[in-house]
Amino acid sequence: MSSAGHRRVEAMGTTVTLDLFGEGLDGVVDTLAARAAATLRQIDRTFSTYREDSPLSRLRRGAATLAEMPPEVPRVLDACREAHRLSGGWFDPWHLPGGVDPTGYVKGWAAGRALEELRHPQVVGALVNAAGDLASFGDLDGEPFRIGIADPGNPGALIGVVALTGALATSGTAEQSGHLIDPFAHTATARAVSASVSGPDPGLCDALATALAVGGAEVLARLEALEGYDGLIIDAGGSWRATTGFPWVESPPARLSR
Amino acid sequence: MRRAPWVLAGTVAGLFGILSFRSSPQKITLSTLPTTSAPATASTPASGSPSGATVGPAAPTTSTASGGVVSATGPLVNYFYGVLSVRVTAASGHITKIAIASLSDGAYAYSHYVDSVSLPMLIKQAMAAQSAKIQGVSGASYTSAGFAQSLQGALSSLKLS
Repeated sequence: MSSAGHRRVEAMGTTVTLDLFGEGLDGVVDTLAARAAATLRQIDRTFSTYREDSPLSRLRRGAATLAEMPPEVPRVLDACREAHRLSGGWFDPWHLPGGVDPTGYVKGWAAGRALEELRHPQVVGALVNAAGDLASFGDLDGEPFRIGIADPGNPGALIGVVALTGALATSGTAEQSGHLIDPFAHTATARAVSASVSGPDPGLCDALATALAVGGAEVLARLEALEGYDGLIIDAGGSWRATTGFPWVESPPARLSR
Repeated sequence: MRRAPWVLAGTVAGLFGILSFRSSPQKITLSTLPTTSAPATASTPASGSPSGATVGPAAPTTSTASGGVVSATGPLVNYFYGVLSVRVTAASGHITKIAIASLSDGAYAYSHYVDSVSLPMLIKQAMAAQSAKIQGVSGASYTSAGFAQSLQGALSSLKLS
């Protein structure tokens, strides 16, 4: 069995965990984790919407132009534009109160950036979990990482287990008294309480999970047609609907009727 | 053209999201799960130091009872409404019990809810996660960074993660 190194980083207003798998990692775990932590904190400093002095905050309030931003800002916004297109408009960082807000992409993207810092010849598998946004490479003793999907209607339970293929992100939507607010119609409606997307790119998974949570079945249909990506939506009762390729290891029994 | 959706994304800090059922989304994690790499034997840890890149305000403590059962208390962690710590008991490399070791939640109105509802939920979720032999959880609500952080400290000192 591989030895494992586990580290925790406080960044982006949450706890990010790093897990490394491989033999003889004792000498390298701290170095790699420190690099990942530095990357996460640098991303936090650039993209935080809570820090008034962050480059993104200055861009949002018009105190700086895009040309004055660090190079990763336009790169992230380009990726958000692609996510907006792929989601059919359901992911839209440009139409949020307070100015452009790529947060729905950045956390997953940051997990992927941190993951890249964990690459090392002795590391056969690594897992970054940024508050539910997961990025990974490699495996655990030849088997894919197994990730539980929390059941939104039953906090003590998992609704199922998936084999991690690169990245996995889960989002929830505005929920009140068992209803979700339809952003277009402004009426209470029952869409997904929890939405997950798996695929190769952590940032895109995060953005598409956000879109899936608000867009529901319409976005799920887009994911069905999107190569390499799969989606799952769960309602408050624990019923679910997923794309045909969703990587279940243990799938739950209650499926939503179509 | 359809209007842009209200896409909200955020992270939950502490237990606030669980307690108030406010109408904003919460990404979560139970970022602190025991992994399948847990040792087959429950040896007594030599040191109670957590292995995190950043550590909480107090180091976990460990103790050994009879029959290879070990337990550890995670660091005291600040969460939105107070300070808590989590105690983990394990036998043969598997968690047998997770409990709140200490909870100082001030005079907030939500204190009762924390004690009676939220923390039992988190404990149950952590136990469910272990039984599924998983390396992580992805979900949209019901967790606590503070709980997770202290739990991780306890697990680390027991070498369960």
